[in-house]
Parts: sequence; structure tokens; C-alpha cells
Amino acid sequence: MELSESVQRGLQALADASAFDQSSFQALIDASHRSLLSSHGDPAVLDQPELKQIDQILLKQIHTAATTFILEAVKQNADKSTISSSLEELTFSAERIEIFCSIYQKYKKEVEHLLASIGRRPAQINDVSWRLQYHMKNGQVDKVNEPFYSISLNSEKEGCSEDINFTCTMEQLQDLVGKLKDAAKSVEKASQM
Amino acid sequence: MEEVDKILIHALKQVGTDLSEETDSVKQFSSELIVEAVVRCIRVIDPALGNALPTLLPHGMSARFRVGMSLAQACQDIGYKGEIGYQTFLYSSEPEIRSLLMFLVEKLPRERFEASDQPSGKSAVLQRAIAAAIKAQLAVPWLPPNCRLPKYCETQSLLASHSFHVQPLSLPHCTKDPDKKHLKEVKDYQRNVLSPVTAQLSSRTSVVSSILEQHTAELSAAQEWDSEWNSQGLLSRLTPQEYRSRKLTRLRKRIEEQLRSAALPSAESACGVPASASDLSELLHAFRGSAPSDHVLTKSTHFTHTQKFTFTQEAAAVTHSIPTGHQLEGDVQLRQQEELAALQEQFQQLCTDVEHLSADMKLMSVTNAQVLDELKQRELANVQNEEKMQVKKKTIDLLPDADGNLLQLQALVEASTKRVVNLASQWEKHRAPLIDEHRRLKEICSSQDMESSRKLSEIKSLHDKIRVSTEEAKKKEETYKQLLTELENLNQDVSRSAYTQRILEIVSNIKKQKEEITKILSDTKELQKEINNLTGKLDRTFAVTDELVFKDAKKDESVRKSYKYLAALHENCNHLIQTIEDTGTILREIRDLEEQIEAENGNKTVANLERILDDYKAIRQENSALAAKVREG
Repeated sequence: MELSESVQRGLQALADASAFDQSSFQALIDASHRSLLSSHGDPAVLDQPELKQIDQILLKQIHTAATTFILEAVKQNADKSTISSSLEELTFSAERIEIFCSIYQKYKKEVEHLLASIGRRPAQINDVSWRLQYHMKNGQVDKVNEPFYSISLNSEKEGCSEDINFTCTMEQLQDLVGKLKDAAKSVEKASQM
Repeated sequence: MEEVDKILIHALKQVGTDLSEETDSVKQFSSELIVEAVVRCIRVIDPALGNALPTLLPHGMSARFRVGMSLAQACQDIGYKGEIGYQTFLYSSEPEIRSLLMFLVEKLPRERFEASDQPSGKSAVLQRAIAAAIKAQLAVPWLPPNCRLPKYCETQSLLASHSFHVQPLSLPHCTKDPDKKHLKEVKDYQRNVLSPVTAQLSSRTSVVSSILEQHTAELSAAQEWDSEWNSQGLLSRLTPQEYRSRKLTRLRKRIEEQLRSAALPSAESACGVPASASDLSELLHAFRGSAPSDHVLTKSTHFTHTQKFTFTQEAAAVTHSIPTGHQLEGDVQLRQQEELAALQEQFQQLCTDVEHLSADMKLMSVTNAQVLDELKQRELANVQNEEKMQVKKKTIDLLPDADGNLLQLQALVEASTKRVVNLASQWEKHRAPLIDEHRRLKEICSSQDMESSRKLSEIKSLHDKIRVSTEEAKKKEETYKQLLTELENLNQDVSRSAYTQRILEIVSNIKKQKEEITKILSDTKELQKEINNLTGKLDRTFAVTDELVFKDAKKDESVRKSYKYLAALHENCNHLIQTIEDTGTILREIRDLEEQIEAENGNKTVANLERILDDYKAIRQENSALAAKVREG
């Protein structure tokens, strides 16, 4: 895991046993995780009795570094060995790595959800209803006599459903079905690496 | 043989043969099983050849015979050199089948193993992880939205998604940085007011994206600086700070030039729009930095002046209008409108006035500058003229006593030439050591230059080495991790290590046996030697005794008798030894025969013969049935 200089410095300060005792270390790591997950930014997240005696500027720097580290770790889906090797390079003791990893594991799923919610995605099709119709004639042509399908896709996006309606001829529908099959096949192929 | 059979069965199972768990030796293979195993092996080795063969033995005897023949032919096509025919499959004997299966298993392609040996990079690991994730998601059944369990919500239904939105964060800078002295106010702000990063923005997703973005930006900036410093910075022989400041001034200069070249034409062409020009000139002054700011203010802003002017006017108008607000409404409105119109007129007039005035001012300043220039030129010309006049005045003064003055002048000239020569010689004296000194210093300088460039190249090569080795270390770590995961995945396949262990055991056993054999060989050699020794001794002693006794036998009757006994004893002993040797050879023959019998028993000859008889009868029955059919038909 690559870390920028400021993050490294912050974490090294956090590793310093003289500045942080065990309880304040644990409190800070826990607070960093919670501050990422709280829905509205809570300015009082660092106002804890264990963290009172620490210089506020240093505390804020370390908090920034810790949150960055946590986010990077979750982004890369880092496992325990990766995290512990990175923290070892930053002079963390084995005990503290253990504490960090246990808290990290506790919150990892939630942070993953948070990261997964960033981005765009297309609507998802939940259901489909169709009707075969017959086009006999229109104002311009007396005899058309063509079948066509009218299709309604029930899609869902961000919790609200929406219908997509369209009509297509036989060939177009076959094309669509063929494309869908291709897509399913590609997904299957991708799963068999 | 157990080991061999186990390996064979494992390989056959991998090929796809349907072997039950109980079969653990080739002895237990039935004809059907043998045919299936052989056909599956052939299909893997050569699909075109194998696909024509059936994996199941048919019921009809003649069909079986044909299948056996075609299988034997296929095996020979692949390259099996041993004896093979339909009987190998139908009336199997253990050693033949074993050797055939061993041949086929050895022929099996090894691509699978090689493929797993290939080292693959980080991307391959990632792709594999992605494939595993997709596979897991595909395995989950699709459920309509109403029935979804919360477990599957994350993959099947869409939670509200947020776009990647980045906002700048305010970070407390590190106090450890020694060259940045923070103001006390800044520190106070950071200590007491600045909220932690996660509380600075309202939405938590934008907090997350902003933090990630910030980190990435820092990382990439550091990388860029690193690469630039390694490529250019080191060669410039400056400290990083100097290099940075030099680059900054260079950039500033370039921007300033660009801005100036862009600002000049617009300032000339657009007198009506002075705002852009003045803004740019402000910018220029800001870039210069050292220029006093009040100068900027006084010089730049016609625009700000007009603005100030109009705003104060309006404000004054407003204050005027407030006291009159108490009168009748219609009156008030009318009056207000009139007032407004009047004020607007006034304002417009003032604006035009200002424009006129500013244009006038510009004109004036231009003419002023021209006049100033002219003045300077005139003054210069004046000074020149005055100098000329003085020279002429002096020459006129000297004219009356021309000869005397000429002599004096010549003397002066001579004296000055002498002085010049003197000075030149003195200069030469001083110059020589100075030049030497200069040369010496130059040499030192060049040698230092060389030294420094050498060191620079050394530093560069060191940097390169560092980079290369860090990259290598990273790569190795990655491959290590990958191999670890692969090892974890491979753990189910214990057989390999077991096989190697067994092979090692077998090898050690063979070594022991070899040692024993050599021991026994040396023992037999010794025995042979002893036997030879003893026979030689016996012969010699017999010859000596025979001679002695024969000599005495001529004289004495009783001795003659004993001589006869001696000859009989010798002959009998010879007989005995002969018999013992004969028994040994017979025993050996018996053992050989027993082995042969066992081998024959292993071939299941009797059973096979019975089966052949049965099959023969079956074929005859089939033939007669066919013949009956033909007759009926």
C-alpha cells in the first residue's frame, strides 16, 4: 500500500508509544472509523476523555492520516497481513497492530458499503411484461400486416421503480435477446478465469 | 507395485475414469474398467483418435472382439511397443495391463501442470479475485425485490448511489516541518476552530471521496517531484529548495511575459473597456510581488474610480429620498419617478463626462510622455554642444604662442608615452603571476567539476539501483503473496508431496538393498577364495600323504592297507562334495520353477482359457443364430 508523506508522518506519530497510551490509541482508532461512518459529520468525534491531553493539532493530523489509511486499506481490500506489514514499516508495535486490525475488521463491512455506494450505476431490470400486437393498416398504407412486440421493462434505480416501454419488430427482438445472451455468456466467461 | 498402482489410479481418476474408492490395485480391474480407462487416456492424448472409440464394452462377443482389436490398434498408433492384441483387454493379465497403463499415463499431456507454474502478475491475481467474486454472485439465485434477504441486498438491489464529488479539505499542516513557521493565529485556528476532516463536509460520501482524492493527489505530486528531481534536478547541482525557487521564478517570468503580450494589444485597442487591462496589470504587479501595492491602486483603476463614484451617488440619492417618504403616495411616486429619471440622466451625463475625461487624460498623458521625451533629447544635444564648444575655446586660447605650445605639447606627449611604457612593464610584472594563479585556479575548478560530475553520475546510478531494487523487492513480495495463495489453493492435492516422500523412501530402500547386495557379493567372494584355498591345501596335503604312505607301503603290509583306506576316503569325500553341489543346483532349479509357476498362475491362464472357451461357444451360438436368420430370410 502506497502512502503519502503526510499520512506516513501522522501514522508514525500515532505509533509513538510515549505520546499515546494504549487506551487513547484504541479510542482514536475507534473514533476514526466511526467518524467515517457517521451520516452527518460530527465535529465532536475527537472530544473524548482519553484524547483530552493530546495536542489538538497533532490529534487532527493523526485523525486525518488514520482515516486516509483506513479508506485506502478498504479500497484495496487489504487483508490482515498487508495491513500489518504496512503498519510494521511505520514502527507500530505488534500489540497495536493487533488492536488496529480487530477494530478494522469490526468496521470493514460498513466502510465497504460506504465506498460501494459511491459511483453511478444503470437501472436494474426486475421484471418484464410483453404483448404481441398486429399492425394491420394505417393512414398511408392499406395493408401492412406486420406483427410487433410491445415490451415493458420494469426497472429499479435507487429504490424507486420505473417502467421502460418500447415496441420492436421480430428481428429487433431477436437481436435484443441475442445481445442479452451474449452478455450472460460474457459474464460467465469472466467468472471462469 | 502398490505405489505404482496408486499413482496410476490417481492419474486415471483425473482423466475421468469412474473408479470406485475400493479399487486400489490394477489386479482388481475388470475388462470393462480397463477398456474405459484406456479409452479415456487415448481421448486425452489424441482426441481425434479417442473419440471414435466407445468407453463401454458391448454385449455381443464379436463386437467385443472388434473393440479389442481397434483399441490395440489405437495403442500401437500412439506408440506402444509392447505385445498387444484383443486378448490384452478381454483376457487381461496384470503385468501387461500395468505396463500398458503406465505407458498411457506417461503419455498424458502435462500442460495443466505447466500452466499453473507460470508466474502471473498482480493483475492476474486481481482478475482471479474478480472472477471468484462474479462466480459467487452468479451462484446466488435471483429473487424478486420483495423477497430479498438483507444478505443479498448489496448485490441484487441497488442502494441509493452517490456520485463521486470532491471538495477541498482544510488540513492542519505538520508542525514537524521546520522551515514553515506558522503564525500564532493560524495555530490557534487549527487548534480551536478547525473541525476534523470528517466533519468539514456535510455528506459522508463526499468526505470519503475527498479524502481519497486528496491522498491520491499528494501521492502523485510526490511521485512527479521524485521523477523530475531524479531526471533534471540532480543535474542542476542545486539543493532541492534552490531548485524549487528557481523553477518558481522561471515560471513566474514566463507567465508574466505571456500576460503582458496578451494585455498590451487589448489595452491599446479597447479604451472603452479598461477593466480587463487594469485587472491584468494588477495581476502583473502581484506576480512581481515586490512592487508597492498602493502604487497599483493609484495607477490601475479608472474602473474602480467610476464604480466608487456611482455607488456613492446612489447611496446619497437613497438617503435623500428617505425623508420625503412621508408625503402623499401618488405624489410621492410621481416625484420619485421624476427624481429617478433626473438622477439617471445625471448619472448618464456623469458617466459620459467621466469617459470623456478619461479619454482626455489618456491623450494628455501620451502627449506628456512625448513632450518629456523631446525634452530629454534636447538636453542631451545641449550637453554635447557645450562640450564641443569648450574644446574649441581651448584651442583658440592656445593659438597665439603656437610654437612654444607645440613644443610643450610634444614634451607632454613623450612623457606620457614613457609613462605608458613604464606602466606596461609594471603591468607585465604583475600580470604573469596573476595569470599563473588564474590558470591554477581554473585547473582546480575543472578538476572539482570533474569530481562533482563523477559523483553526480554515481548518485544517479545509485538512485537507479535503489529504484530497481525496490521494484524488484515489490515484485518479489507480490509473487511471494501470489504463491502463498496458490499454495493455499493447492493444499487439497496432497498426493504430490506424498509421492515425493514415497519416492525418497523407495530410493533410500534401494540404496540399502544395494549395500546389502554388495556385502553379500563380497561375502561370497571371500567364501569362494576360502574354498579355493582349502581345496588347494587339501590337494597338496593329499599329494604329500599319498607319497609318504606310498613309500612306506612298499615295506609294510599294514601301511599298504591304510594307503587303500586313504584312497577310498579321498574318493568318498569327492563324491560327497559333488552331491552337495548337485543338491544346490537342484534347489535353485526348484526355486526357478516355482517362480515360473507363480507367474503362470498370475496370468490366470486356466480362468482365461475357460473364458475363451465360453466366448468361443457364445460366438458359435451367435454365428448359428445368424445363419438361422439368414436361412429364414
